[in-house]
Amino acid sequence: MSERRLETLRGFYRNYVKPFYEVAHKAREEGKLVAWVASTFPVEIILAMDIIPVWPESYASLCAARRVSVPLCELAERKGFSKDLCSYPRCVLGSLFDGENLPEGGIPRPDILVASTCACDTHLKWFQVASRIFKKPFLLLDVPYNVESANAENLPDYYIQHYVSQLEDLISLLEKHSGIGLDEGKLRKTLELSSRASELWLKIQDYRKKVPAPMGAREAFSAVYFILCIPGTEQAVDFYERLCAELEQMVKQGIGVVEDEKYRLVWDNLPLWFDLQMFPYLRSLGAVVVAETFSHVWTGSLDPSKPYESLARKHLSNMSNCAIEGRIELIAGLVRDFRANGVILPTNWGCRMMTIGETVVKKKVQEMTGVSSLILDVDSTDWRNYDEYRVKTKLETYLKTLT
Amino acid sequence: MEILEQFRNLISVENKFIKGWKHQNKPVLGYACSYTPEEIIYAGEILPIRVLGSLEPPKLADVYLPVNVCSFAKCCFDEALKGEYRLLDGYVVSNSCDNQNKIYDLWRHCTAINKTYFINTPHSSTENAIKFFYEELERFKEWLTKEFDVEISEENLKDAIGIFNENRRLLKSVYELRKRSPPLVSGSEALEIVLSSMMIPKDEHNKLLRVLLEENEKREDLPEKGVRLLVSGSVMGNSELFRLIESVRGCVVADDLCTGSRYFWNLVRENGDSTMAIAERYLCKIPCPFMYSSEERFKHVREMVKLFDVEGVLIFSLKSCDVHSFDAPLLAEELRENEGLPVSCLEWEHSLSGIAQLRTRIEAFIEMLEE
Ligand code: SF4
Ligand code: SF4
Repeated sequence: MSERRLETLRGFYRNYVKPFYEVAHKAREEGKLVAWVASTFPVEIILAMDIIPVWPESYASLCAARRVSVPLCELAERKGFSKDLCSYPRCVLGSLFDGENLPEGGIPRPDILVASTCACDTHLKWFQVASRIFKKPFLLLDVPYNVESANAENLPDYYIQHYVSQLEDLISLLEKHSGIGLDEGKLRKTLELSSRASELWLKIQDYRKKVPAPMGAREAFSAVYFILCIPGTEQAVDFYERLCAELEQMVKQGIGVVEDEKYRLVWDNLPLWFDLQMFPYLRSLGAVVVAETFSHVWTGSLDPSKPYESLARKHLSNMSNCAIEGRIELIAGLVRDFRANGVILPTNWGCRMMTIGETVVKKKVQEMTGVSSLILDVDSTDWRNYDEYRVKTKLETYLKTLT
Repeated sequence: MEILEQFRNLISVENKFIKGWKHQNKPVLGYACSYTPEEIIYAGEILPIRVLGSLEPPKLADVYLPVNVCSFAKCCFDEALKGEYRLLDGYVVSNSCDNQNKIYDLWRHCTAINKTYFINTPHSSTENAIKFFYEELERFKEWLTKEFDVEISEENLKDAIGIFNENRRLLKSVYELRKRSPPLVSGSEALEIVLSSMMIPKDEHNKLLRVLLEENEKREDLPEKGVRLLVSGSVMGNSELFRLIESVRGCVVADDLCTGSRYFWNLVRENGDSTMAIAERYLCKIPCPFMYSSEERFKHVREMVKLFDVEGVLIFSLKSCDVHSFDAPLLAEELRENEGLPVSCLEWEHSLSGIAQLRTRIEAFIEMLEE
């Protein structure tokens, strides 16, 4: 079965990812402030302050795609970091301990590190460790856990208030370190762009509801970069507009990403960054991933007239910050809306959030939608325990059970 | 000494005090983490007890969970599945680590315990965090009052704080006995004493501690002398690992454990608003490593090393415990470089599988120190 490539995504790495690292490295040389930012931190603040964000998680996935992540993980393990930790920090910390021939000249060093507790303990601990290594300050946004998986509207006011007051304190600290005041007008503009990018990203997802779906996971896991890393920029909006236009054309012409679409899948958590060929392989079996939970956790509209409050609401109700019901509802919703007939639940060895509860997710999603799921015990970055043959056999067997 | 035996026997969810408490129709609440504000629970005449798991391999939990999960949290869940916690009227978790938080989902979905509560403990001790935690504790109080039909007045809270602080002071006196050489209580005995304090009403525990402190003056069967060690790590729900260390001539004289010194080292302020005082105490205590600052804990370890004349440090991380595993190499480095102390980092499983290898490594470390 032949596979269609999207024009907009041609040369993605060369055109968008590479320059990103070049800019960050250059910024360092020019003495601009560089910040390490963990996902689920409201990066709009960083962008609005003209601080250069660097994403250690992205860097780890890049190292995996280039197949250098394992030797880097091993370097960290030799320094005493457990093999059972998330492979992202193992890979990135390893790269700091005399890693050689690092992709893109290594991860740009930070002047400051910012993270939130939204997603995992790993962010907190990883950045703490890095802050000790670099002897640079680490600022934390301590986000209350959303144990009811409640909509932001239903959370107690003091939850929102807690987020907002921390954000205010954190901004003054950033101002102190950078010597740049946060320009309210610029923040408003950044939030507007972020909301716009988010809308467009959701529109892109909408096109994927069509049968045949015009875009799969391979493209989504690249294109999500803008909404994840630089949502509040013209570049993000521009890219998504072009992608929308292309998808619209395809949908009009009834062109799908695979010619003969047999299976429509929802993909949870992360891809195997070191084996992105997995997706073309699935396509060769007539299976297209129509939705990823990963593509649906970074969206959310922001109200520029209430910047901090709307950031608080967005992040407090991020699925990564929620009890399991949030995940179950999201996946069941995706199955319904995207007319999926299968769900892949890859775990991630060192990530408790992506590992604990998969059995419950599987059971509940089946009850709610009638669709069965396949749990794959894998790791996104560390391939040492990866048995390609076994995983492919599992996938093939699973696909055959789908109707 | 017989009293030491008593402490050991109390480390059970079926001990006589829990049964007696239930007999009076008063509720018992299990909790997962040393950040649970027990004073508030106790003030409502509800008995807070710590869920400590067991040594059994978690067979039922293995159906729901893969291997790469904290074996302690998994084992507690397993006990709940087996019905071992049938005496509990509820279960409280306090936003500690990812393992606990995520397994809490499974407690809610898969076990028979129907009253559960999640306290959103902040991960820092800033003014904002304390204010937030105060509100969160007020909400928790409301939940307790409603669910268990109890009253939690300011006066009850003050009494509870008094009793708990007394317990903490007495436990510190027990630790004092370990400064001598040989120590007047062994590491495993001290751990059992602290663990038992989590399993019975604190006023009863205070009585027992007073007896112990008095009788101990005349103790004849003193623990063996050995290499003076500090053990750092997370939870130890029983004293088996300490006994193992003792069996290879280690003498655990101090600890940095959440079921050890981190549990009782800090007192609650006894003036002003009680709930606020409790909020402050828990956020400002010797932190567990899921908190924003590791420095305070590292400092505590360094101080313990000096106070207890420690010769070597064993750092234990439970496999898949992210927060302790991240800290382990840093703490080790700091102790080696700044204090010139020998340190060994070890990974272990709460059910003590792989114990033979563990013993070999501990023994080798102790032998090195003996030279
Ligand atoms: S993979 Fe999981 S543990 Fe690792 S950084 Fe992401 S959310 Fe955290
Ligand atoms: S040992 Fe670590 S992972 Fe396990 S419950 Fe304690 S802090 Fe959490």
